[in-house]
Amino acid sequence: MASANIRDVFKKSDLLLMGVCMVLAAGFLVLAGLNAVEAGNFLTIDSLFFTAVCLLLALTFVAVPALSMRARGVRPFYVDDEIPPARAHEHVHFEGGTRLFLYVLLGLLVLTVIEVLLAYVHVPLHIMLTLLIGLSLVKAAMIVAYFMHLKFERMSLVLTLIPTLVICICLLFIVFPDSFRAASLRSTPTEAVPSPEGPNSQER
Amino acid sequence: MSTEAHVGRLPATEWDGGALPYRVGHRKLGMWLFIVSDAMTFSAMLIAYSYARVSSDAWPTPFPFYPSIIFSTTMTLFLLASSFTMVMAVRASAHNRLRAARRWIGATMLGGLIFLVLHLIEWEHLIHDGLRPFRLAGAWAERWPQAPPLFGASFFSITGLHMFHVLTGVLYLGVIALRIKKTRHEDVEISGLYWHFVDLVWMFVFPLIYLMSVDFTPGAGH
Repeated sequence: MASANIRDVFKKSDLLLMGVCMVLAAGFLVLAGLNAVEAGNFLTIDSLFFTAVCLLLALTFVAVPALSMRARGVRPFYVDDEIPPARAHEHVHFEGGTRLFLYVLLGLLVLTVIEVLLAYVHVPLHIMLTLLIGLSLVKAAMIVAYFMHLKFERMSLVLTLIPTLVICICLLFIVFPDSFRAASLRSTPTEAVPSPEGPNSQER
Repeated sequence: MSTEAHVGRLPATEWDGGALPYRVGHRKLGMWLFIVSDAMTFSAMLIAYSYARVSSDAWPTPFPFYPSIIFSTTMTLFLLASSFTMVMAVRASAHNRLRAARRWIGATMLGGLIFLVLHLIEWEHLIHDGLRPFRLAGAWAERWPQAPPLFGASFFSITGLHMFHVLTGVLYLGVIALRIKKTRHEDVEISGLYWHFVDLVWMFVFPLIYLMSVDFTPGAGH
């Protein structure tokens, strides 16, 4: 199903009206952007209200041309083309649809927001570290499984790549426990306080 | 015709020879092996950073909500969104909708470029404040007198290496987008693997570098 040509479907006056709507929508987006740049402190009620109003107005003006184009079968973002010879004999296996990837994206965004919120909760450092790394591992697993498509590959590939990586990273952690002792192993920690820097920071 | 074109429909079983044990072409396997080794590089750097941080008497936590955390969160969102557009590009390419694939790759490159620009602004802020690889910014040194001067070294090396990956990823995607009619689907998929890996690394750099260094002081950054 190809897209209809926009000039065949609409009258000139309609096109002009739609153009005006798009210009107004762009103008409101520019206003919202200017506010974000100039406001200094963006997170105030005034600034957020102004942004919300601008975005709403922009959406309203976009809605008119978008809905009328959709009703007439004009699809500006639709593209269709023939298969070039380089790909003609390639057997492609691809699983997963737009909805699946959107869900994964949504999950990743939610986890990111949770991480940022967590950063502002006062908890001991090691608990915070565990939580953040745990959430990041979940995110990494989602990216590897769905975006990098490893879930749909052969198990032999998964079993070659993932355990290798996990074991090597575990090996990197071998010396890590020393870091917990390092502070107490220093002979005179109070004396070491005034000059912990190396020779590079002499000019400070 | 190379062997990759027949992936998935070879008659022989693994034990008869001639079959591909991983059912992927050699280029894709090569990219996966590169990704595993590069992941080890990044994990070594992040673990070294964590080691330095845990073993130090103090460590600066200088990032205020505005601009640092807002900027880095926005960067994360752009990188995640560009990962999504990349997977849509690979999907369009799998269905042989090449112009759609090219547009999606263009959107991915745009996301990567926005990430780079925001990150460079962030670097500029820190360098302007006086942060150097082996010297803390003056105000930080007064606030955290016990902290070693390693903050800049860890920050600039880890985020710098990641930024270099983003830059090469944008260039790589540009080449793929320009040559999309001459490439096979697998090539597009491989470039997607690289891009998702860049995204994946940031999922660890962001919490460890930024979120662990949040400045709790009320009114910071205003």
